[in-house]
Amino acid sequence: MQLKNIRKQMSLATCALLQAASPAVNAEESDWEIDTAILFYSEDNGRVSAIEPAIYAGRELADDQRIDLRLVVDALTGATPNGAHPSAVSQTFTTPSGGSTYTEAPGELPLDDTFRDSRVAIGADWEVGLDRFSRVTWGGNLSKEYDYLSLGGSATYARDFNDRNTTFTTAFAFNNDTIEPEGGIPSVFQPMRVAGSGLNREGADDDKTITDFMLGVTQVISRETIMQLNFSFGQIDGYQNDPFKIVTVVDPADGLPAGSGFFDTASTGNLPYVYERRPDTRDRSVIYFKTVHHFEEDTINFSYRYYNDDWEVTSHTLDLRYRYELGNSYLQPHVRFYRQDAAEFYTHDLTLGTDVDPVSGAVSRDYATSDYRLAESETLTLGLKYGMPLGNDSELSIRGEVITQSVNDGSVRPGEETADLDAFVLQLNYSLLW
Amino acid sequence: MNDIRLKRDPDCWRGSFIAMASPCEVLMEVDEEELAGRVLETVVDEARRIEAKFSRYRDDNIIARINSAQGDSVTVDEESARLLDFADQLYQMSDGLFDITSGVLRKVWRFDGSDRIPGPRAIQQVLKNVGWHKVTWRNSQIILDQGMEIDLGGLGKEYAVDRCITLARELTDKSVLINFGGDLAVSCQRQGGKCWSVGRLVTGSDQAVALFQLFTGAIATSGDANRYLLKDGVRYSHVLNPKSGWPVVDAPHTVSVAAATCTEAGMFSTLAMLQGPQAREFLSLQGVEYWVN
Repeated sequence: MQLKNIRKQMSLATCALLQAASPAVNAEESDWEIDTAILFYSEDNGRVSAIEPAIYAGRELADDQRIDLRLVVDALTGATPNGAHPSAVSQTFTTPSGGSTYTEAPGELPLDDTFRDSRVAIGADWEVGLDRFSRVTWGGNLSKEYDYLSLGGSATYARDFNDRNTTFTTAFAFNNDTIEPEGGIPSVFQPMRVAGSGLNREGADDDKTITDFMLGVTQVISRETIMQLNFSFGQIDGYQNDPFKIVTVVDPADGLPAGSGFFDTASTGNLPYVYERRPDTRDRSVIYFKTVHHFEEDTINFSYRYYNDDWEVTSHTLDLRYRYELGNSYLQPHVRFYRQDAAEFYTHDLTLGTDVDPVSGAVSRDYATSDYRLAESETLTLGLKYGMPLGNDSELSIRGEVITQSVNDGSVRPGEETADLDAFVLQLNYSLLW
Repeated sequence: MNDIRLKRDPDCWRGSFIAMASPCEVLMEVDEEELAGRVLETVVDEARRIEAKFSRYRDDNIIARINSAQGDSVTVDEESARLLDFADQLYQMSDGLFDITSGVLRKVWRFDGSDRIPGPRAIQQVLKNVGWHKVTWRNSQIILDQGMEIDLGGLGKEYAVDRCITLARELTDKSVLINFGGDLAVSCQRQGGKCWSVGRLVTGSDQAVALFQLFTGAIATSGDANRYLLKDGVRYSHVLNPKSGWPVVDAPHTVSVAAATCTEAGMFSTLAMLQGPQAREFLSLQGVEYWVN
């Protein structure tokens, strides 16, 4: 037996044996488990950077109940691709408020640098034991950004079988999100206007609802191995466009942004970019598998996630962590690989004459987006975490990750800058019992 | 049995009786003799109930049924299930050092102060019948392989003390101290901030020369004062490592631990003995109060 602190386990085991817990033991069990973290995220080339402090607190309550609370604050700054693709000529765009412009040099990826946001999210889970083998967890969350409000709730039922070696879980979650973008909701497939000439807008806000249903099973395979398999199905219904994303209209004659007829900016005030349009329903399903295996001391953690939706986005995520125990402390390398296919309506641009009427500006496609997040892409994450105990009841850990994302858009011209991304994550975490 | 005594001490009632092969005491800070008598009677009944139900020296209880089932499944009652669940958790927590199937090792190890050390082959033979991981225990059913036995003696006395404390609390909100052969617990604080003082043995002395002063909680003691083997200058304690089949060498003579309940205190003192020379290190890691001799 390795010398280790088992006081907590002993206390819990004794409580179960004696059932009527003594007040002294009760007091010990009601510690708050507190997790505090601060995360720094930084993308290269002056794109998004974020600082995210977070605090989580959980505690066992009387009568087989448990409560978990969380608070996360984000502060984001930087620039994000606006959807238009780089061009051989310089390009000028109007900011979302319609009040000013920004210009991108030839060959450069157009970035909207007015992107700046802060977010506050709070959430709570309340677990109630129904009997020795089953429990229900009620969850609620609220997230507020400058232009975004998300409200949600969930219910999860879990039941143990087979001498607690098997757990079935079923969950239902519901979310309602409202967006109120700067300048209002853009009219789909309408052109961006030159600054100061009015905006193509169709209202101040819009919303969507998200419903998810999950079925899962967790199986203890042996003292060392545990496996989990989840299936979930969900639907998003409502406004799913990104109000800040546009698609370039290209003149096939010269491959440059259109500049004649409807898009003759000097006479019409229309810029050769139209606001994107996505379907207003999205049905998705996810299969998730995870296994944890304990060696004598070390632990390996592997998961695979398969995602598919009716926008024809399919993705695969492989995640592997290995925790090396170094006496008291530990070192945990992390590798993650993500690959997704493009959405059916993802496009590099719209072609004048084929997709867009040169005179009326009418778009003949049903949907179109140039948002790189819906393009075919691959992301590799390499990370390392080091954790060490501070005293008996607290732990300090530090985690660093390098993220490399490549966007594979078949229509990109040679030399054109893509939305490829390198990012770095640094997280400090301190957890304690209080 | 008529060995039950109740007498008036200067500041409490003192009841005494014999159970679980140990002298048992109940100190009660109550005024009326009638109430003291009721508390004592309740404690005696509970101690003897637990002894009768879980003693391995009887042939009419659940332990005898389990140990004589010869590979058949035995369904146990709720209280036995809780004790077996607890033993299972202790086995896991201690990485197999606390094992209620290890009692059969006593067939080859007799701790009578002599120098009779069994041969390695005899130990190997008995070890085949040791190992909680070989036991099937689920859904209130237990199956032991032929030749295996379980023995809850390693936690029965501590469990009895805690059970009796619970029952005493139901009868009175005055402080009651229960001491079963050196494993003791207090139901609540005494009046006026006083503590209970209980004698404790120190190695090399036959008398209680030191005192535990207990305000609340429990203290349990493990030791091998008179149970050991001595050969070629090596003292083999009666604490056996269920993995090797050999006694723990260089174990302390006695370990006492204070904790919220007598069961926790007893398990920590037992596990500390099993750590041999690392007993102190183990206990200081747990953050409990302890005395090692």
